[in-house]
Amino acid sequence: MAEMTIADAPAPAPAAGGIMRRLNVVTGLLAGLVLAGIGWAISHATLQNGTYGSDQVTCITLVCWLVGFLAGIGAFVGPVRWLAGKDLTEDERLFLAGKDQGVGRYFRFTTDHKVVGIQYLVVGMALFFVGGMLAMMIRTDLLTPGSKLFGLQTYNSVVGLHGIIMIIATIVMVTGPFGNFIMPLMIGARGEAFPRLNALSFWLLVSVVPVLLSAAFLGGIPTGWSAYAPLADQAPPGQDAFLITIIGFAVSVALTGANLTTTAVTMRTRGLTWSRTPIFVFGVVGSAVLGLVAFPMFMSSQIFQGLDRTVGTSFYNAAGGGSVWLYQNLFWLMGHPEVYVILLPAFAAVLELTPVFCRKPLFSFRGAIVGMAGIMGLSLLVWAHHMYVSGWAPDLNGSFMLTTEMISVPTGLLILVIIGTVWRGRVWTRLPMLAVYAMLWNFVIGGITGVYLSDVPVDEAMHGSLFVTAHFHYTLMGGALTGAIAALTYWFPKMTGRMLNEKWASIGFWTAQVGFQVTFLSMFAIGLAGLPRRVGDYPPQFATGNAVATYGAYVIMIGMLIYAGALITSWIYGVPAPASPWGGKTLEWQVPTPVPLDNFEVLPVITSDFYGYGENGAGPPAVPPGRREPAEPPEPVEEPVGAQSAASQPEGSAQ
Amino acid sequence: MRMWAGVASAVVAGAAVVALSGALLSVTDQPPGQLRASVRGYVLTPSGRLPHAFLSIATYPDSLAGEHGHGGGPHPDWVSYGPTTNFEVPAHAVVTVTVRQYDTGGTIYNPYFAQVHGTLGGTATVDGKTVTGINPNTVGHTFTLHMFQANQPAEFISVPLPGVSASAPNHANGYPTPHVVTFSFVTAGPGRYVWNCEFPCGTGYEGFGGPMSTEGYMDGTLTVG
Amino acid sequence: MSDPTTVTPPPVPPASPDPRESRDRNPVGPIVLLWAGLTIVLELFAIFVPARVMGVAASTNMADIKRAVTVFSIAAAPVAALVWSIALYSLLRWRHRGPEPPTQDGPPIRGNTAVQTVWLLVSGGLCLFLLVWGLAAMQATASTASNPLVVDVTGQQWLWTFSYPAAGGVSSNVLYLPVNRPVAFDVTSEDVVHSFWIVQMGIKIDANPGEVTHIGVTPDRRGTFAVRCAELCGIYHAYMQTQVRVVSDAAFRSWLRSGGGRVTSAATHGTPQPAGARASALGGLELRRGNG
Repeated sequence: MAEMTIADAPAPAPAAGGIMRRLNVVTGLLAGLVLAGIGWAISHATLQNGTYGSDQVTCITLVCWLVGFLAGIGAFVGPVRWLAGKDLTEDERLFLAGKDQGVGRYFRFTTDHKVVGIQYLVVGMALFFVGGMLAMMIRTDLLTPGSKLFGLQTYNSVVGLHGIIMIIATIVMVTGPFGNFIMPLMIGARGEAFPRLNALSFWLLVSVVPVLLSAAFLGGIPTGWSAYAPLADQAPPGQDAFLITIIGFAVSVALTGANLTTTAVTMRTRGLTWSRTPIFVFGVVGSAVLGLVAFPMFMSSQIFQGLDRTVGTSFYNAAGGGSVWLYQNLFWLMGHPEVYVILLPAFAAVLELTPVFCRKPLFSFRGAIVGMAGIMGLSLLVWAHHMYVSGWAPDLNGSFMLTTEMISVPTGLLILVIIGTVWRGRVWTRLPMLAVYAMLWNFVIGGITGVYLSDVPVDEAMHGSLFVTAHFHYTLMGGALTGAIAALTYWFPKMTGRMLNEKWASIGFWTAQVGFQVTFLSMFAIGLAGLPRRVGDYPPQFATGNAVATYGAYVIMIGMLIYAGALITSWIYGVPAPASPWGGKTLEWQVPTPVPLDNFEVLPVITSDFYGYGENGAGPPAVPPGRREPAEPPEPVEEPVGAQSAASQPEGSAQ
Repeated sequence: MRMWAGVASAVVAGAAVVALSGALLSVTDQPPGQLRASVRGYVLTPSGRLPHAFLSIATYPDSLAGEHGHGGGPHPDWVSYGPTTNFEVPAHAVVTVTVRQYDTGGTIYNPYFAQVHGTLGGTATVDGKTVTGINPNTVGHTFTLHMFQANQPAEFISVPLPGVSASAPNHANGYPTPHVVTFSFVTAGPGRYVWNCEFPCGTGYEGFGGPMSTEGYMDGTLTVG
Repeated sequence: MSDPTTVTPPPVPPASPDPRESRDRNPVGPIVLLWAGLTIVLELFAIFVPARVMGVAASTNMADIKRAVTVFSIAAAPVAALVWSIALYSLLRWRHRGPEPPTQDGPPIRGNTAVQTVWLLVSGGLCLFLLVWGLAAMQATASTASNPLVVDVTGQQWLWTFSYPAAGGVSSNVLYLPVNRPVAFDVTSEDVVHSFWIVQMGIKIDANPGEVTHIGVTPDRRGTFAVRCAELCGIYHAYMQTQVRVVSDAAFRSWLRSGGGRVTSAATHGTPQPAGARASALGGLELRRGNG
């Protein structure tokens, strides 16, 4: 690999990068709009008057947008050139990785995993803003009985869009920024296994966001994010926008899954055996693998729905021989593992930072692995607890109750590892660690309320009520999102080169936490009292609970905006950060800030795990003196494809 | 100082965006106007002498005559009730509703709604004839009213509205001769009720999409009190 | 400011000793006290709050559900209290404040087999308890009574209709039930998925197009209770509500005889519902789709 070119690179050859020099998000936007316009014009002229006309036109137009955008940003340049026998030169690889491009590289099809990490961070935050805004509208509409802010149809659409935007945002919120930026550093790699797939995965996510938002202008979605058939069949063309979004997003998730898994398996530096690999890597890989298994189900469910809507098949139409239960099974086969796709990376990030802030080894590394593996395995066996009252298979309810209740055991193990790490530690009460405490509080509540729902008779009372909504907000928002904020606060100095202003970030964080308790504890109460979920209006006896929940939501909004303001201001004006402000031992803290393009000058050789606090020679287990690897001889510039990508490591991967 | 300014501007800007978006959404999505029943005279019923209220509405094969303006709104070809879909009637009164039904019809797939339910005497008048139900193969729309939440006075009315023959000629106003359906019911205490058509006159799956699933066409509210 | 390119080295022996002797006191005693206090508070909550919020029970199903919620809360309280009391204690006694990292590391505890084993055994035991409790409750509700009153429930956007096949198809929008008599509901939908939920009786079953689902209950309290739809079914999902009126047996029979009160009996005109197994409401329906 060309380490030498970083420090004393000659000026890059002119026109390196070729057409990629001219392609960026703006050309993508233009190409997407042009192709969408052409698609719309042709399909509208030929198909509009058929029975399924408007659905066919909508789907074709949106797919044209996706293809156009990706073409316009240069996603297909690489494969086309490879087919034509041309391949990346070293200068082109460096150009693609964003060398010497300044801020512009964040708006391009850039392959540097650190750039992609930052891109995911920004897009993730934007998604949370939009999703949060929709949540404020939901709560404002529910402030008093009698749907006041807007009509019921708009309410249903707002609820559905809020749900899917938050699901997408929480899926990417840890794996995207930190799985990409931090994980390769943590394993001592110079990049990821499939850098172009990685960039494609990111830009695919970006391209489906306008598709989803277009649903608002196409009549909205009446179904909530779970898009149950056959209500989804009855829906206006906004539903087509929804299902195209899901299909595109599922591809994005699969690409990330393949990329991160291969990276972790094949690109760990020498000496980094699995028992020395940081727990965060396990969490990200576990989540990626789970996503690879689960998301094709979601994608299939939406493809069938799309066929039902555009061509008149009857996958989910009972009158045509189909079954609504087919949809529910496909959806929940994704839907349950998906919450662990969301939760595992956040939990793993928390498990990663807790030893650093307690100055103790992780209490039972093996226990954490077993816990995560147990969660992953069981999560594939519990899906029909969402269908206890669907009537699909009442005789199986007991079995699903068993597997669901068993999941509490490995989850409890992970909580044990956290409190065991905290036990007798030197607990450094900085914001990342304090956020871990908030997560413990929230997740215990979320987990226990999940136990109620796992009981079949109790679920007969609770299913479809606001109790369920409060439960999953406690686990996904109070648990996973809080863990993600802890991770962000922890890795912010490495990713941005600045220290996050902790005073203001804490004010925002705790304000949001207080509002969160108010909103969702009162939501538990009105759910227990019998109010269904996804209702835009309610009987007067639920008025007080709803009003309290709404005021809590406004407090959440203020808190989150304060945190975001602190984040953005610190990013621009914050105190420059040292390379390792927390005294962490993992490899990302051993590289300078800002991180050089190829990450490590010399790839480290690992001799022990990263949790050696309080043990002999407590210090970063990077290259001890006397065992430093000799400098690599310069590589020739022209190399076959395999060696060009960061996947090839002459230093070898660990076993 | 910078932090304070940054945080404050984030809060203000963020809240402003949220508020503006909410306001924009709200302004574009207001409910249709109310039609208040006119009260004239009294009716002697087994429960006493009650005021008599009258409501006159119609169902159309398009959206050009109702609350969507003369252009018909975004979906001029959608069937609709008119002149509006939100009604107001007095409590403890006899309400007589006259519906002029201009649309064609077909076979209703839940024959329950081809019967008359909940009206005074259990009957309705179709073009002058008293009936307790109509032919389930020639239903145009229904007017089906029910309570909207469980702790309020119960009310359930469903009256089928026969469809006009497809070969009937149009008059100068663009519509054929309507069927005129009249029915009466007694209102209980104050409350809000919802009504919608139960004939699949919409688009999409089971004919319940399109106008059947969009507020302001084939569904609405009835406020008693 | 430290040079950003160097690694923060492990610290040399601290300049000032750690002033907190309390850090090293045996934590078990204070934690047990914290745990006991938190447990008491949470138990009081568990015993008095959730069941009260759930309102009055109109069937043994609901009474069992309320009991289960209370018992699960009672069982969960010590677990939550344990986690939170250790967390709280750590913040009180083991914390290190300030902008610099702690100067000393904590003890290198890499696991404790005894603790992990006990934890796994206890969580496994709690899990087993929950499972047995749940299965027992499911058994109790599954035992079908002989000769239940059969009620056909049809959900259609956006209202419920009930009909009584044994009474020749008397139909109603309001559900009338005789008290203390087992009822068997045969539930279906005419269009999309709805969910038939009698809130105070604690029963809920989805209404699916093309399928008939079943649920049974015995109402044991007279009164008027709410029926709500629990599955998003379109614009008026929030308004898909009606009442269930549990009356004496005599009142119920006279209501049936009068053709279901103000509602016309469908037996006079429409297709009578067959007694016994209910055909799916979509039988014979052809696939219909309006023009988009």
